[in-house]
Amino acid sequence: MFRSLALVASTLALTAASAVAGVGDKVDHKFRSPLVNAMGVTSFADLRGKPVLVDFWGTR
Amino acid sequence: MPTALKLQEEFGDDLQVIFVECQGATRDQAEAFTWRMKWMGGRAMWTEERPFKTIGNGLPETALVGSDGTILMQGHPGDMGKKIEEAIALEIKKGKEAPEGTPSALKPAWKTFLKGDVAGAIAECDKLGTDEAKAAREEFVVRTERRVARAKWLLDNGYVAEAESGLGQLAKDAKGVAELEAKISAESTRLAEPERAAEREAGKTWSTFVNAVAKKKPFEAANVQKAEGLAKKFTGTKTADRATRFAVLSKLKTSG
Repeated sequence: MFRSLALVASTLALTAASAVAGVGDKVDHKFRSPLVNAMGVTSFADLRGKPVLVDFWGTR
Repeated sequence: MPTALKLQEEFGDDLQVIFVECQGATRDQAEAFTWRMKWMGGRAMWTEERPFKTIGNGLPETALVGSDGTILMQGHPGDMGKKIEEAIALEIKKGKEAPEGTPSALKPAWKTFLKGDVAGAIAECDKLGTDEAKAAREEFVVRTERRVARAKWLLDNGYVAEAESGLGQLAKDAKGVAELEAKISAESTRLAEPERAAEREAGKTWSTFVNAVAKKKPFEAANVQKAEGLAKKFTGTKTADRATRFAVLSKLKTSG
């Protein structure tokens, strides 16, 4: 029961845009603004069934 | 960055790479920079909206999200070596199989669905009639509705050829499933509207242009002029908006 509640809490936390996420956490983010080259993808849920590589980078 | 682009090329449509700019660049700055670096023109997607914060502090950083939405790996891309490729290949394989814990009676329905036969998979679930089968049926419908939503987005945003391809496949995959056919048919009707013709031609021309310039010198004066010409020729289309944006971005100063 406590484990289930913890899992729900963890999932809910990650729906907030800037929550910290690590290995084992679920990602279900819905993008507020369209991605460049999105081709209809608006959230991670749209990509369910295939792996997603998220590359954090900087222009400077 | 180039590593992720290579992985996108290597795995094609089986993998989605999303680049997230994290140093405060505006969308325009990040996009202009990306064009200049000759990174555009592939399947990768780009955003400056961080979908989640990571535990690490440095850049670049990579996170691999599995086919079920779980973060599987995280760290500096340079430290991951071959492990990341192996993990991606494994996830692609898993994404083509029934989810872990699926009852054996339901595995054929998942296999049918993952081959693209939505109608066949739903029929198998209906035949089984168990609670697990009902849940799987619901998942099949939701995933297919997402494909319809993507086709609608493509149509709304002027990607007529891509929408046509998606809707054609959907019509075959979901033939006989009334609840899905109605939604697919509504978008197919919009696809057939006469005003799509100009958008279709514009999209085709723009696609050829992008393929020709993306990996060379995209913002070279001659290319910018050509984009401006296309914007004028196809005025009123979404593609013209894209061509205009390309020309505007070319004039933006970036660090790239």
